[in-house]
Amino acid sequence: MNESTEPGRPAAVAILLAIGLALALPLSLFVGRGSGGPTFGLGAEDLAATILAEIRLPRALLGALVGGTLGLCGAALQGLMRNPLAEPGILGVSSGAAFGAVIVFYFGFADSDSMLLAAGAVAGALAALAILYALAGRAVDLVRLILAGVGINALAAALTSLALSFAPSPYAALEILFWMFGSLADRSMAHVWLMLPLAVPGWALVVAAARGLDALILGEDTATSLGFSVRQTLWLVIAGSALAVGAAVAVTGVVAFVGLVVPHLLRPWVGFRPSRLLLPSFLGGALITLAADVAIRLMPPGPELKLGVVTALIGAPFFLHLVLGSRGRLNA
Amino acid sequence: MPSYRRRSQLAPAHAAAYLSLFLLLPRLACAELPSVASINLCTDQLVLSVADPAQIRSLSWLSADPEESMLANQASVYPLNYGSAEELMAIGADVVIAGSQTSPFTRSLLRRLGSTIVEIEPAASLDDVERNLRAVGAAIGRDREAGAATASMRARVGAMRERRDARTRSAVVVRAGGFTVGRNTLANELIGLAGLDNVVANLDRWGSLSIETLLATKPEVIIMTSYRESEASLANSFFSHPGLASIAGATRLEVPARYFACGAPESLAAAELLLEQMAPR
Repeated sequence: MNESTEPGRPAAVAILLAIGLALALPLSLFVGRGSGGPTFGLGAEDLAATILAEIRLPRALLGALVGGTLGLCGAALQGLMRNPLAEPGILGVSSGAAFGAVIVFYFGFADSDSMLLAAGAVAGALAALAILYALAGRAVDLVRLILAGVGINALAAALTSLALSFAPSPYAALEILFWMFGSLADRSMAHVWLMLPLAVPGWALVVAAARGLDALILGEDTATSLGFSVRQTLWLVIAGSALAVGAAVAVTGVVAFVGLVVPHLLRPWVGFRPSRLLLPSFLGGALITLAADVAIRLMPPGPELKLGVVTALIGAPFFLHLVLGSRGRLNA
Repeated sequence: MPSYRRRSQLAPAHAAAYLSLFLLLPRLACAELPSVASINLCTDQLVLSVADPAQIRSLSWLSADPEESMLANQASVYPLNYGSAEELMAIGADVVIAGSQTSPFTRSLLRRLGSTIVEIEPAASLDDVERNLRAVGAAIGRDREAGAATASMRARVGAMRERRDARTRSAVVVRAGGFTVGRNTLANELIGLAGLDNVVANLDRWGSLSIETLLATKPEVIIMTSYRESEASLANSFFSHPGLASIAGATRLEVPARYFACGAPESLAAAELLLEQMAPR
């Protein structure tokens, strides 16, 4: 996977992706679902400003912010674990966050756009990571980390289902679909403001780990001998991912596979060094998620598809392809 | 106040004005009724029960589906919505009626956009249905019609009390997937109206029912709520469980799931249908 010795052109790729994003954002603002099916433009003149500013803009921004978060954290986690199958979802960060949000939301502690909900999601993500540390911590054994993540994922999903079954609202049990297959429908600017204060520091922590991640490519011992703390890199990535992914999940639910697919698609173009992959992965994640969300709105009339369903439809076959490709290495 | 002074001077003119106002009042009141959109299958049916048809701008997409809605025919003449904020902005109704369990994101976005949004709790009893009718009536200027709707509900309930058998029979409601209803549900109250005594009344609200429990409780009546039987689902396969067929001597009644889906005046049709099916032929 990472055998490429090509230096790659991260700056050029980042510029191209930024241009793509600059085109996708207006497209996302232009496509709506004003009558049950796709509509183009902003509709009636007297409503156009409101629809643009209060409905389409937050949706487009959140698509980019959530997708960017997932791309960035996916790239960082793959670098950290030197494992091509790593992803916020696989570590259990996303499902831990969903469980935290579910507890806060369904047991009456908070509205859908309250900071408390996001705090619950971040706490859930951190709790997942604390268990991860307890299981696979000190040795920084990376294969164990992934296996622990798989277990935590299953546990968090089961706890979420359990919590929804016991929630006071009889409808909560049906809403597990939302938490497991996220959506951007009808989010408002309030959700943008909810996400940013947590996501931005999260990104900053992950980016701060970039050089440590580069050093980790050479192996833990070499990285340590070069003066990089493996433990510090680990925790920068983990705390940053918890903050950013927690904030994203609080707003959209679990959107799977973006963090897995994007770094893989970009590696041939930017090379395998994590520090060069982070920014393009952020932009690529934003672009893919925005595109998936536009595709949802272009579907024929009916209830909206969930965003996570579309990303999983694209991402899961890709994941299987990776499993096939890496079978020999995982057995070794 | 100036108006008081003028009144004595212009009494005949005022009288005429009052008279014409009085004559116009019903029409004016109608013209001033707020327009309404509903985004939930159950609130659709409440709105249809109390609103002036001219008030209704849109109902939710499920309400015109005869499998889902008790009032599908009535609903099918209105524009349907899928409940997104953008659609509702385009519809532009004065009042939006939502279920308290409608997407929290849509509700909070609509509120942010300045819509008047009225949230209706699911009904767990006929009292709740009356409360919800009054709430919808108050929100859309149709208090009187809400009152009339509750009165006609009570009349229907009264008629059923007259009609039902003196002897109560034990019964259980079996929903697709093996779910059932216990106390504190509208369905429980409805089967009670038909003279049936729920064998799982110790269950609070909803729960699943195992075939074993069903065998052990030996209900005299099994009420099967059929739902989209021609469409494949694991839930529906519960009905063909051999254990269910093995309960000897039980009367099997069938009530389509839509009868129990919502709390609305038409929910009473569930009890009426049961009474009809149990009537000696």
